[in-house]
Amino acid sequence: MSANALRAGGLVLLGAIAAAGAGTLAVAQEQPASPAAPVAQPSAEKPKVNPQIPENVEPLPASEATGVLGKKVRGPNGEDLGLIVDVLVDAHGLPRAAVIDFGGFLGVGSRKVAIDWQALNFSPGGRTSTLELSLDRAQIQAAPEYKADSPTAQMVVAPPALSPPDGQK
Amino acid sequence: MASAKNRLAGEDAIAAGRGLDGLNLFVANIQTGFGPFISVYLTTKGWTQTGIGLALSLGTIAAMASQIPAGALVDAIPSKALVALLSILAFTASALLFALWPTPLWVYAAEVLHGFSSCTLGPAIAAMSLAVVGSGLLGPRLGRNARFASIGNGVAAALMGLCGYYVSPQAVFFLTAAMTLPAVASLVPLRRLPDPARMTDPCGTGRPARPRTPLRRLLTNRALLIFAGCAMLFTLGNAALLPLAGNTLTKEAGRLASLLIAGCIIVPQLVVAVISPAVGEFAEQRGRRLVLFIGLCTLPLRGLLFAVMANPAALVLIQALDGIAAACLGILVPLVVSDIAGNTGRYNLSLGFVGLAIGVGATISTSLGGRVADAFGAPVAFASLGAVGLMAALLALWAMPETGGHRPQNALPGDGASEARRSSLHWDRKT
Repeated sequence: MSANALRAGGLVLLGAIAAAGAGTLAVAQEQPASPAAPVAQPSAEKPKVNPQIPENVEPLPASEATGVLGKKVRGPNGEDLGLIVDVLVDAHGLPRAAVIDFGGFLGVGSRKVAIDWQALNFSPGGRTSTLELSLDRAQIQAAPEYKADSPTAQMVVAPPALSPPDGQK
Repeated sequence: MASAKNRLAGEDAIAAGRGLDGLNLFVANIQTGFGPFISVYLTTKGWTQTGIGLALSLGTIAAMASQIPAGALVDAIPSKALVALLSILAFTASALLFALWPTPLWVYAAEVLHGFSSCTLGPAIAAMSLAVVGSGLLGPRLGRNARFASIGNGVAAALMGLCGYYVSPQAVFFLTAAMTLPAVASLVPLRRLPDPARMTDPCGTGRPARPRTPLRRLLTNRALLIFAGCAMLFTLGNAALLPLAGNTLTKEAGRLASLLIAGCIIVPQLVVAVISPAVGEFAEQRGRRLVLFIGLCTLPLRGLLFAVMANPAALVLIQALDGIAAACLGILVPLVVSDIAGNTGRYNLSLGFVGLAIGVGATISTSLGGRVADAFGAPVAFASLGAVGLMAALLALWAMPETGGHRPQNALPGDGASEARRSSLHWDRKT
């Protein structure tokens, strides 16, 4: 066991660096919980205006930033594509992909698919409960399932803007 | 005369039968509201996958850990209607907790409450059925229970799907809570039922009720162990099939996927609703072993068909086999356990034991199926789950004794062979 570890040590280290560089580090499990926390706690804290705000606190209006966990995702034709269940961030903490829970009926048969963060459209100022995705159902359904414990996730990327896949929007 | 005093007669019996019909119908409604849908619901409330996984595991552990203690508790409480009432109210509370306070503490509480009450409600319904009809007619009664339960399941799945889609995921839980009211109303004609364990011999032979059979003797009973083994292997092969088939549909069926998955859920319920009474009658006439073997054999067949069929619509049709298995197993669990332990004073505990075996099978099944599918693809996973079903069928064929056959017309007094067979199986009556 330890001999193995010694021999493979260098490789493991390289692998870890490569994985971090590739941005597939799935630190998302805990991280997005904090932005999403206000969504989870209904109304108890939000309306309360604290008269004594400490100095290290500044306002962040909901129109500027909201949680994304549990947000519904819609395709270009308005079709329901599922819910955001996780966000994958890279070593700098920047979001790289959103994991959506796609399809199914009453929770049966749904699949988790990683979607390129760039494919999500955020309407500025709008605090809507849905996000728009520039991908449609057909582009997502065949994607490999996202596994949190897999060393490399496969994410669905938006097709290059110059050549739409089949000429229709 | 002594037994007639214990048994309901005339209009009371009819009313009690109606009560059981309604109870099965609405309880199924309640139970469908939980399950995979909780994960969707908590996601919309901003829960992380880790948190959801924890809550669901807690519910599974609570349900498994409480199977046997809950069974013992139900055995100890004479009024099964009271047990059913408290269990249903626990479901109401659990549904309301989910709807109103989807925060960790309350969700965990709701999961534990739901896990425990699902272990008391099923056995209580089975015990009340036994008290209403006695063991000679239990098969057809359980068939009727299964029919109403599957109608309830099918309707609930459709209603909740619509409710979740058009109203809100939260509304599904309010709907579930509302469904507990008619379930409580169904208990009214059942409130004065005698406790089967305190009745005279349910076979009507007029023998007095006995003190409780020692636990060790019951849990080393060969028929009970083999039956629990069959039920566990069956669930091990069965539980992961539907989620895997659904997953395949989501990947391959395009826009219709959700509808086809709904079909995969509802088709077996339709089949159960249609065939259950006949299956119950068949189990009474031709024996439990044959019904068990037929039910278990559908699983390898279904696994094989899933593995080779590529057409998404075919998956929905193959699900009809699931309905056959569900009808057979759904009726046999309370029936065979009643054959073995019906008047030992440990009926509910024995049901809990089989329930625990089923719970273990279901828990392993999903992770096993998922892993095989990840490593070797869905067809291999379907085939391997089917192979586990084949093992269950072979176990039943080789080792499961016939537990029925104690009906008065099958066992005439003085018929030596049948008397010997009975006493070897129904040890509780011998000593």
